[in-house]
This record gives sequence, C-alpha cells and structure tokens, in this order.
Amino acid sequence: MRSVWLLGIVCVVLSAADDFDSLAARATAAREAGNAQEAVNFYRQALQLKPGWAEGWWYLGMAAYDDDAYPACREAFGKFLELEPKSAPAGALLGLCEYETGAYREALGHLTAARTSVGGLPPEVEQVARFHHGLLLTAAGRFDEATRELRPLIPKAPGNPVLLTAVGLDALQLPLLPKDVPASLAPAAAAAGETAALWVSGDAAKTTAAFQDLLARFNSAPGVHAFYATYLLGEAKPQDAVRELRTEIGLNPRNARARALLALVLERLGDVSEALPLAAKAAADAPDLPRAQYAYGLTLLDTGETARAIPLLEAAGRAEPGQLEYHTAIARAYSKAGRYEDARRERRASIELARNPDAR
Amino acid sequence: MRVSLLLLVAAAAFAQTDPRSTCGGCHEAQVRTQPKTAMGIGIEFPPDQAALKAHPNLAFERDGYRYTIERQGDHSVYSVTDGKDTLSLPIRYAFGTHMQTYVFEYEGKLYESMVSYFPRLQDLAVTLGDERRHPRTIVEAMGRETANAEITACFECHGTGGVRDGKLALDSLRPGLDCEHCHTGATAHAQSMTKGGAAPPPKSLTRLDAEDISHFCGKCHRTWEEIVANRQFGVSNARFQPYRLANSKCFLGNDRRIACTACHDPHTDPPASEAAYDRSCKACHGVDQKSCTVAKENCTTCHMPKIRRTDTPAVFTDHQIRIAKSGEYPN
Repeated sequence: MRSVWLLGIVCVVLSAADDFDSLAARATAAREAGNAQEAVNFYRQALQLKPGWAEGWWYLGMAAYDDDAYPACREAFGKFLELEPKSAPAGALLGLCEYETGAYREALGHLTAARTSVGGLPPEVEQVARFHHGLLLTAAGRFDEATRELRPLIPKAPGNPVLLTAVGLDALQLPLLPKDVPASLAPAAAAAGETAALWVSGDAAKTTAAFQDLLARFNSAPGVHAFYATYLLGEAKPQDAVRELRTEIGLNPRNARARALLALVLERLGDVSEALPLAAKAAADAPDLPRAQYAYGLTLLDTGETARAIPLLEAAGRAEPGQLEYHTAIARAYSKAGRYEDARRERRASIELARNPDAR
Repeated sequence: MRVSLLLLVAAAAFAQTDPRSTCGGCHEAQVRTQPKTAMGIGIEFPPDQAALKAHPNLAFERDGYRYTIERQGDHSVYSVTDGKDTLSLPIRYAFGTHMQTYVFEYEGKLYESMVSYFPRLQDLAVTLGDERRHPRTIVEAMGRETANAEITACFECHGTGGVRDGKLALDSLRPGLDCEHCHTGATAHAQSMTKGGAAPPPKSLTRLDAEDISHFCGKCHRTWEEIVANRQFGVSNARFQPYRLANSKCFLGNDRRIACTACHDPHTDPPASEAAYDRSCKACHGVDQKSCTVAKENCTTCHMPKIRRTDTPAVFTDHQIRIAKSGEYPN
C-alpha cells in the first residue's frame, strides 16, 4: 500500500518537472523566434510551477521592459534580485522600471547600487542607467555626482535635447527632472546644457562665447552666474569666480550652494575672515547640505575653532563619504585637536580613498 | 629689441625699494640673513643670475636635442637645437637656488625650461617633473608652456608683488619673499612705526602648532591635503615636506616640537650638518635617546633618509620620520 502512495507522489513530481521543462523550452523557443507575447505567457506558466527560476524572471522582465510594461517589469526584476541579489544589470533594469513608474527614491537607490557595483554594467545597459541615474541625482540635488554621470554622455549623444536639458538643470543646480521643468526655465536650462556641452568639447573660444551669450540672455535666471563661476574656477580665475558668485547671491539670496562655494573660494584665497560669515549662513540656511557644513567647518578650523569645526566636518563626511576633501579636512581637524589615533586613521582613510575613489 | 625691453622691465622692478630694509630697523637679525636664503632669493633676474654668471657656457643633450645656456653680457640665452632648427630665447627668470629652472617668453606665453641647473652637478639636467616628457618638436624640447594657475603660483611663491588679484603683474615683481609674504600686516606695521605711530604687529607665527605651521608653509611647499587631493603618490612626493612630515608616526598636530619651525628658521638657510637637528629630536626623545640602539647623534641620517632617484640628480631629505628600511618608501 505504502509503495503505491510513494509511486503516486513520484509520478506527480515527475509530471510537474516535465511540465516545467516543457514550458521553459517553449518559452525559450518563442523568445528566440521573436514571439514576445507567446514567450511571456510560457514564462509566466513556468514560473508558477517554479518561482525560484531566476532565468525565467530575467526574461520575463526583459520582455516587459521591451514592451514598456514597467509595473510588470518592476515585479520581474524585483523577483530576480531576490534570487540573485548581486546582479548589477538586474538592479539597473529594476531602477529603470521604477523610474518609469514614478518610484524615484527606489530608482535612485537601485541605480546608484548598480552604477557603483564592482563588476560594472554591460555597455548596452550602462549608458541608459547612467543617464537616468544622472537625472535622479540632479532631482535629488546631488549635483556633483550628477555632473560626473551626465557630462560624459554628451559626446555620445550630441545635440540630444533631453540630455542637454538634463545637463543644463545640473549646471544651474535646479533639482528637477527634465519633464518637470516649468516653461519659464526651460530655455535657460537648454542654453546652459548647450554651454556645458561646448565646455566638455574643450573649445575654449566657443565656450567663452557661449557663456557670454548665456549671461546676456538669462542674466537673472537662477544658477547662471554660479555656473559661470564654476567654469572660471576651472580656468584658474578665482577672483572672477568670486565676482560671479556675489552676483548670483545678490540675485538669489537663498542660494546656499553658491554661498558655500563663495566661502570655499575665499578660504582658498586666504580671505578667511570674509569666508567665515558666508559659510556660517550657508550652513544655517541649508543644514542638510554637506558642502555648506564642510565650508563652515573648514573656515572654523582655519580660525582656530577646532572643537566647533569637527562635528560639522564629520557630518559632511558621513553624508558624502566619497568626498575626499571632507576627509582630509577631518584629518587636519583631529590632528589640531591632538586626537592622534583619529588623525592617523583619517589620514590613512583619505589616502586610501584618493587611491581608490570608488572604494566608498 | 624684445630682449632689451625685457631687461629694462626687470631692472626697473629690481630697483624698487625692498620693504625688508624698513623692517630691519627693529628686526635686524632676521633682515640681515633672510634675503640671502633660498626663500629670500626666490627668483633671480638676468643681471643677478649667479649660477649662470659662474657657468657662462652650459650644455646638455637628450632625446636628440642639444641644449645650451650662454652668458651674453648681462643676460643668458637658452638655446635648443635638433641639428636643423634652433630656438634661442633670453632667460627672463631663474627660479630657485637648490635647483634652478628657467622661465622665458615664447609667442606671448611663459615657458618652463626643459633643462635646469643642478648645483650638485654644477651642470644641466632634465627639469624635475619632466623626466618622462620626450619632446617631438623643437618647441616641446625647449620647454613646457605653463598653465595660468601654475605660473601664477610659481611667482606667488618665489617672488613678491608679481601677482595681483590672482593675476600676473610682473611689472611689479620683486625677487624673493619679503616680510609681508609670511607676516601679513608687516608693511603697514613698519610704515606706521617709522612715522612714529602705533600699529599692531603681525600675528605671531611662533605660537602656531605643528598642524597650522605645516598648513602655512604648505601654501608653497604643498599641504598634506593638496598632495592627497592631487593623488601625488610615489617617490616623487619626497619633495613635499609637509605631506611627508604629517605621515610620520611622531607627528602630533598640536605639538610645536614637531612643527616645521622646530628645525627650520625661515630667516636662515637650513644647516647642512645632520647633528644640528639632534636638538629637535631630543626635545621629545630625551637627551639620552634610550630608544635608539644604533646611535646617539645624527638622528636624521637614518630616520630622515636622503631620497635619490635614478631619473634625476635632485636629492631630497625625506621628512617622513621613521625607522627607514632599505628600498622602502612608505606613502
């Protein structure tokens, strides 16, 4: 009697396995024949029998992505990542699907993880992931990181209007997605993007002319003078950058980023007494802005207020652990405070970060 | 014609009053020695280029190019030839004393010479930092066009008055660092004192701790932060003393006994004798130096080894104080 039962169970299991193998084979055949919808149906049936089949979720996700079916795509890559949590391509595709469904916070997290993964991304995913990551970093106000993501794309997609607007938003430090740019700001964002593209091209004469044109056409637009100041700093013209940053703050008194940058430029020029109040106001106006906390901490450090400087510098370092200058300033602060072991540790960490910028 | 104009400009600049003479009324000892130091000299203008006057015909060959520096009257001419073409330019500025690198003007731009004078050799060799440059044209062989920020920093650290509002102002350049360069407010203080008025003296630098002094001197000698930010790792950073010193195990940022000024008086050149620095080591390690089983004197001989490279005759004292092991360069 017992053997009959056992035989029955074995038959059921074998039958299920047989069904799964058959469905998986038919899904693959349909996909390879270009019958997308048929393939999706077979993948779904197969996955009902075997939900731990990672390959099935992958192809189901890819089919949904190709079909612009982003909620289904999101579900499929989510399942895949549960099974293969270290897969950077799946993380990137999940992030892209989340972006399309408006889940921006989740998308930023997944795209950041994918972009900083050790193995990197295959070329066919890398560029689109990089672009959307750049958009989301801009919208989140993480402009330095956004710049590093977006500007290398310019030569690969010359003249692309959406990319240029995205680059322009980042350049003007406007925390918006391109689709959310109000009509009043759109021309300035596009022009800033075109100017940044010339800057990236290395054509100094055309870049200078483009900046003059940008300033003439959008003189009072938010971020234009601060953008020009960053260019002037790159050209080793800090005094001219100071002038532009003062203009920016005059036009947009609540621009804490410009104020923090002005404080840092003045500090570098040795004018700490003028830098200190600017940094203090920037830090007070934007307590969540690491660069403002850093600027205030650095100027306090220069004026001998080491004890007050340390928590500000530490906060900036925690918020943006990849910013080398925060860590070198913390090392100096610890050293000045006589915190020998902490200073040694932070110096070693800074050197390690400088050698391996992607380590954190 | 251009040479004459340049020399006139240089001579006029040098003729300007050196504010150090005013400070000497009270700070006689410092003003007597400082102008003769490497920092006090900084740059030499054509009539005063001592090494080139002492060696009126220098020559060097590399990568198929022949370099010569010849004294002609009160200036020197730097030439490079590949056998077919020759470029000759008057040397406008001679930077430095331990090594001397030349700056000249070519097509409206300032260039740093491909070869420098090394007193240790009494001869020319490749300029420090250019060891890996292998020129393809005679202009590249002549030297390297300097970026605006770079040349501005050169004049800021080697001279006085040559940079105004962040831009070159070479018509007012004076060689060397005057008192105001380090002692902000010195000029106003001196002017007021000579008129019988009262003016606060500049902030005392002797009270700064080791970290602050390193940061201060590092404005020219490069700060620890700057070297890390520029990722200048490897033996080439031996020349940046504040970086090396801060990496020393015995560097305590709030202790003046390990500050640059504990060993170096900026108003005099560093003593050549190794024994002269023992006093600074003993300030922390005690007179008996019980911790060292090898020697009781000349500490720097072992603990601050000389860094010699195969690609340059330049030699630097490694300021990363440590138990040095042969062939090891921690950084």
